Amino acid sequence: MSEATIERAPPRPHLRSDTLGLVIATIALAALGIALPALGASGYIRTLVYYSAFYLALGQAWNIMSGLTGYLSFAHGALSGIGAYGVVIAMNADWPMGASLAVAGGAAVLASLVIGATSLRLRGAAFTFATLFFQELMLLAVRKLPFAGGPGGLVLEQILPEWIAYVGMILLAGVATIGFALIRRSRLGIRVLAIKGDEDAAASIGIAATRLKLILFCVSALLAGLAGAVHALFTASLYPDVAFSVDLSLIALAVPLIGGVATASGPALGALLYVGLREALQLIAPSAHLTILGLLLLVVVLYMRDGIGPTLARLIRRSR
Amino acid sequence: MTAILEARRVAKRFGGVVAVRGVDLTVRQGELLGLFGPNGAGKTTMFNLIAGAFLPDAGQVLLHGRDITREPAWRRARLGIARSFQIVRPFRALTVLENLLAAIPAHGGANDAASALALLRRVGLEARARDAAGDLTLGMLKRLEVARALAVGPRLLLLDEPLAGLAGQEAADLLRTVQALKRRMAIVMVEHNVRLALPVCDRAVVMDAGAVLAEGTPEQIRRDPAVIRAYLGSEAA
Amino acid sequence: MSLALQLLVNGLVSGGLLGVAALGVALIFGVMRVVNFAHGEFITLGAYATWLLVSQLHLSPLVGLPVAFVLGALVGVVVQAVVLARVTGRPELDVLMVTYALSVLGLGLFAQGFGGDFRSYSQGPHGNLDVAGAIIGWRSLTVLLACVAMSGATVLVIQRTRLGLGLRALAQNRDSAATCGINVVAAERIAFALASGLAAAAGCLVSMIGTTTPNVGHDLVLDAFVVVILGGMGSISGALVGALALGLVQSVVSYALDDSWSRMVAYLLLYCIILLRPQGLFGRAAA
Repeated sequence: MSEATIERAPPRPHLRSDTLGLVIATIALAALGIALPALGASGYIRTLVYYSAFYLALGQAWNIMSGLTGYLSFAHGALSGIGAYGVVIAMNADWPMGASLAVAGGAAVLASLVIGATSLRLRGAAFTFATLFFQELMLLAVRKLPFAGGPGGLVLEQILPEWIAYVGMILLAGVATIGFALIRRSRLGIRVLAIKGDEDAAASIGIAATRLKLILFCVSALLAGLAGAVHALFTASLYPDVAFSVDLSLIALAVPLIGGVATASGPALGALLYVGLREALQLIAPSAHLTILGLLLLVVVLYMRDGIGPTLARLIRRSR
Repeated sequence: MTAILEARRVAKRFGGVVAVRGVDLTVRQGELLGLFGPNGAGKTTMFNLIAGAFLPDAGQVLLHGRDITREPAWRRARLGIARSFQIVRPFRALTVLENLLAAIPAHGGANDAASALALLRRVGLEARARDAAGDLTLGMLKRLEVARALAVGPRLLLLDEPLAGLAGQEAADLLRTVQALKRRMAIVMVEHNVRLALPVCDRAVVMDAGAVLAEGTPEQIRRDPAVIRAYLGSEAA
Repeated sequence: MSLALQLLVNGLVSGGLLGVAALGVALIFGVMRVVNFAHGEFITLGAYATWLLVSQLHLSPLVGLPVAFVLGALVGVVVQAVVLARVTGRPELDVLMVTYALSVLGLGLFAQGFGGDFRSYSQGPHGNLDVAGAIIGWRSLTVLLACVAMSGATVLVIQRTRLGLGLRALAQNRDSAATCGINVVAAERIAFALASGLAAAAGCLVSMIGTTTPNVGHDLVLDAFVVVILGGMGSISGALVGALALGLVQSVVSYALDDSWSRMVAYLLLYCIILLRPQGLFGRAAA
């Protein structure tokens, strides 16, 4: 046969060692983040680290669903908003924090089942539209719901020490990143990427696409809900227009798309890049974050479809 | 020989066009069945009705006597019907090995990788296991697709124009691979290239205008006057 | 009776605006197979352009109508040529991401340029018309007439002109249209410019009867998506009928409850369509 005539591509690094390295790096970075306050980092630095972790957790949640399946979600902001309201309502009803976080995650999963069961059996943009309108519906609905405080929002009655949300968010971001890497490597991840590649071909080898998409969406929603819940502990007050802001959905998808979609490390790069750029621009153009995100997203989708991380890696490999 | 697959009076129309009009088709254990016919004969539609890519308007499809007429494609694959595509459809973003891992039914453990590698060895792609499928040549992709279909562990393998786009040596290689498989499973091959494909078949069915025109051994088919008139006359001239 | 008439007129006005917005979405989808999330930003563009004309140059908002149309069409041509032409043939979801990024970019630019303030003006048609006890503002009536004129003209162009024939052929089958000698690239550019111009003109009308914010187009275009999906993606007549129907329903719901309920009704409607259309949202329909 013809292999002999075809030049062998350079062997790829073994996947298992890749994943191990990523897990170690994630744990090390998370430990460093958690240790920062003890090392005397300023409040400003802590805030930056916190927000990077928040966006990383959200981005990784989006990456697990949309990055792996190719079905774009515009609802991750709303899912995190549901988690935020869930935890505050439960804690204000004197539930313990662990149970309240479980409520938050559960509520987000429930929402994802509702969106997913209606739209994931269809291909193409149906899911995207379902998520887009879910986001808008939630914002309108929460302003109306009396137990959610209406347009005035809710305040977390209990006063928590600052480190809880800080440590919680870093841990969540780490768990989400490692979780993504493990799923990507697993049989589930391979099969879901097959769906993303070609849904008919995936069906022809026995892959139950609708079910797998729904499973990933639930996992993704759980992480997004928990991220929103921990963030609610951080801010301690909720306004519908902030908790259900379209901006959060945008950040959730921009972070992995910019950094490197469907990779474990891409969202980390995206989150750092976004927080860094936003801070840098704060001085020059305070309200430019939307413009910047839009431009970055446009450039990445047009010119580097894999995101900045994988594109840079390819350039470095080529120049060597 | 027992029937592995039976299609009974299967019919399918697209809008006003009747693609398949009440066709009976039987595939027997361990045979290589060729499905031939001129363009628009309905052979590809018939193929897709068996694979579950779309559902028939009338008739029944039975696998080992079990009615699978309404089953979606993915469930048919799990019941043991695997297929290839006319234009190759690999998962380009996955590695060659992962293409097979995606198809192997869940057992868990390292056995999956071992059996995937064994399959790759059988189609001569072991050396490319860790390359992205998108980097392979067309001939390799065709073989990858056969291996991927085999990974499902099929009792019935459906090949949709496996020779399309392949040059002489590659085509011969592929046919040899197919022939080597048939003891283990039944194979249905839709093929345009009658000259190359008919000789390797155990039995052939020729369709025309949505119906079965002739059925028999390659020798019988070659001599059938109706076939010569409808098909070979124009194509093989 | 007078209440019913009042609700009817309100419904026709909002349905008319929705119709012009939906027309553009349907046209772009029909011809280019692109779901244009950035359509709303063209509406916002027209609204701010008109507001600037009125507040800075002291012109009548009616002048804004042609100005917004031309401005929208020009920006549309640039966006189509520089961005969208690059992604033709890419997977559906890639294209979706591009128009979404454009929308975000637009939202960001408007928010930066104009801030979050509510902009409105009192110039232009004013006074009321009393018809059988229903109070109908001249302003609303002007908007309604302009919407009817614009959708009518667009439908005429599509149904009766050579350009329209080309666009319809393109909507049916891109490859066949190209082999028939239709300049596909130019036709797509014209369709996009026409749709963007219409959106900006609708934005001018929106600024006349409402307030202008960076989000004004975004909100209107969400309803337009519902209407376009309801009417069969890409079908222009379907979109217009759907827009009128949704406008009337929303007018009644807004009266009985309030504005946000009427928006919720529209969005819930979308979920019903998703549930009822097993073949997906993009079942094709001719223009």
